[in-house]
Amino acid sequence: MNRLPLLFFGIFITFASAWAGLVAYPYLNLGRMLPITDEASGDILPPPISGLADAGQRVYAANGCVYCHSQQVRPAYLSTDIAKGLGGRRTVARDYIRSKPAFLGTMRTGPDLTNVGLRYAADWQHRHLYEPGVVTKGSIMPSFRYLYRMQKIQGQPSANAVQGLQGPHAPPPGFEVVPTQQAVELVAYLLSLKRDYPLPEAPQEEVP
Amino acid sequence: MTSLAKSLNPKNDPNAGTERFERAEIDASARIPVLVFFGSAIFWLLIGSLLALIAAFKMNIPGLLDSEAWLTFGRVRPAHLNTVIYGWSSAAGIGVGLWLMARLCRVPMMHTSLLIVAGVFWNLGVLVGTLGILAGDSRSIEWLEFPGYATPILFIAYAFIGIWGVIMFRYRKPGHVYVSQWYLLAAFLWFPWLYGTVNMLLIWQPIQGSAQGAVNWWYAHNVLGLWFTPIGLASAYYMIPKVIGRPVHSYYLSILGFWSLALFYSWNGMHHLIGGPFPAWMISASVVASIMMFIPVITVAINHHMTMRGNFEALKWSPTLRFTVFGAMTYTLVSFQGSLMAIPSLNTLTHFTHYTIGHSHLGLYGFFTMMMFGAMYYIVPRLVGWEWPSASLIRWHFWLAAIGITLMVAALTIGGIIQGFALYDPAVSFTNSTLFASPFLWVRGVSGILLTVAHVVFAVNFVMMLARAGGPRDEPTLFAPHAPDKEVAAV
Amino acid sequence: MTIAAILIIGGLIFLSGSALIAFYWAAGDGQFRDLKRGAEVIFDEDEPIGRITDRFPAKRKA
Repeated sequence: MNRLPLLFFGIFITFASAWAGLVAYPYLNLGRMLPITDEASGDILPPPISGLADAGQRVYAANGCVYCHSQQVRPAYLSTDIAKGLGGRRTVARDYIRSKPAFLGTMRTGPDLTNVGLRYAADWQHRHLYEPGVVTKGSIMPSFRYLYRMQKIQGQPSANAVQGLQGPHAPPPGFEVVPTQQAVELVAYLLSLKRDYPLPEAPQEEVP
Repeated sequence: MTSLAKSLNPKNDPNAGTERFERAEIDASARIPVLVFFGSAIFWLLIGSLLALIAAFKMNIPGLLDSEAWLTFGRVRPAHLNTVIYGWSSAAGIGVGLWLMARLCRVPMMHTSLLIVAGVFWNLGVLVGTLGILAGDSRSIEWLEFPGYATPILFIAYAFIGIWGVIMFRYRKPGHVYVSQWYLLAAFLWFPWLYGTVNMLLIWQPIQGSAQGAVNWWYAHNVLGLWFTPIGLASAYYMIPKVIGRPVHSYYLSILGFWSLALFYSWNGMHHLIGGPFPAWMISASVVASIMMFIPVITVAINHHMTMRGNFEALKWSPTLRFTVFGAMTYTLVSFQGSLMAIPSLNTLTHFTHYTIGHSHLGLYGFFTMMMFGAMYYIVPRLVGWEWPSASLIRWHFWLAAIGITLMVAALTIGGIIQGFALYDPAVSFTNSTLFASPFLWVRGVSGILLTVAHVVFAVNFVMMLARAGGPRDEPTLFAPHAPDKEVAAV
Repeated sequence: MTIAAILIIGGLIFLSGSALIAFYWAAGDGQFRDLKRGAEVIFDEDEPIGRITDRFPAKRKA
């Protein structure tokens, strides 16, 4: 075992390199990324999100949405994400600067949500969260009606009552379904999910 | 009883390392701490199995238990994950590791009070963490969902165990350090550091979102490779030779296997994020490291197979060997599968599907859990000085678990591939990808029932064991003063 | 320097350093010599090579 010192050195380098590459580098480089300013429009990219949407991230985390929904668009040379309409371009590290945490996800039991803010408006989101199986035929998403309140209509219906509900838990006549603060925050967060702005490191890709 | 401070240097203890301790004395000293961890582990196994069933059937029956927030899939699923990782798997691993360390150090266990305190803290941490997830405080960071008020409790418990490991090692009888001990020391020392670091970087002082994914999966994969795998292999390297009475086939290979595992494993983490928002070189390095894992895995496979060769008959008489060999073969299979899954062209199809879940259960259940069952069947009688009350309960346990996990993995693998093809094809709607997988998820749920029954059977036998149930035996078996009727060739 | 940076650099040194120390110690202590004897260290007079040490529990007395 005369080559031991060389072997040790090799082992040291390999250990240290894994650490350097997977922990030190992300922290030092990716972890201190800043938003950029678009030259043409002067916009800050990625755009800041509202306080309501920021609070919505906590609701997203508390209810484990990430276990069925991913939030990443893979490039065209590695997948058909773009051909399937998940987004106009792949997502890159800078897209997740404001995420706490980055809900990249590892399962697509439900669709990818990177650009869900471009696809559906608030009223659809509320109806869908309340009773997904009614809004989307064949959906296995569970109901989040515990984020809503069924209440008797007092005089006039509430301005933010969810419209168009059907199915077994639809409000009977004289009742309405109103979102709680958590539901409002969650939907604000979902509406903020759009990556339709260009970034220098990720140009819009041609759909093959 | 030496004080903790003195323990750190055996030169302070005049009795250190000189006596030859009876094996029974060593086992007796380990009784309370190991049983604390085993009992806790089995408790959490039952809880984790129940949570698993709820989560699994919710995928087929979305309306199941859907009116309460604390029972929503997005909370039950991480509660299942964390109770089986930290509650069952880690506790069982610690119990097995503690006993193996005592045996391999060849001295009775010292500072058992430290370990009992660790056990209490650790149970508390898992309980608080699990309730926190159900209450809505989950971090939604995979493998690290316990809220920030629970993780320090676990960290303290793990740190105690690491310290204990160092002390025990210093007090060992001088001589060769067996390969299992290398694996255990690696696991005991690296895990508290892993856990502490990731908590700091993702929970207490979170780094920016863009970097979190890399650190998250560095942690999760390293828990597999530097905590669970070493404990599982430590057990296999001890149990297989010990049960059949034959030393490891190529000890040189076992040493090689250990160091190459340590070298390559920590780079694997990024293969969970192929195609994700990270620089290409990071992902590529992970893919390379994932393929390099063939080296330590083949090393271990050759070693175990050659040690067992000519002795497969022993699987008929030894419960420990059945579970351990099942686990060891699965280790080889799941590792090969993992290496292949990292290849980008295959990954395109399997990423985001049930295939990945099949793989993770093959590893954590088919390999690690079965390995722990095998070790527990060997260790518990030696701790309590009593035979397992029921041989038929052991057989039921084995077959329900073996069939259950095989069915589960088959269902998730086939279902996952079909789901993967559907997700890949732009012409297929998203809803169809879930629809096509649905029948396979039913099979998965049923296999989960089989596994849960297996766990109840095991728990019953364990409780009966502690209560010294079952009368005297027809003939001595475990504690035979003479050799049993079948001897094994020493070569 | 934030605490996270200290932890990362510190962790780097700890992980590689501990492995290095372990390896140096093992080589110096003679752990890599006589591997055949090393494999046999788990056997002794009570449980020698060639003796099986685990069986299913026997039937109970009637």
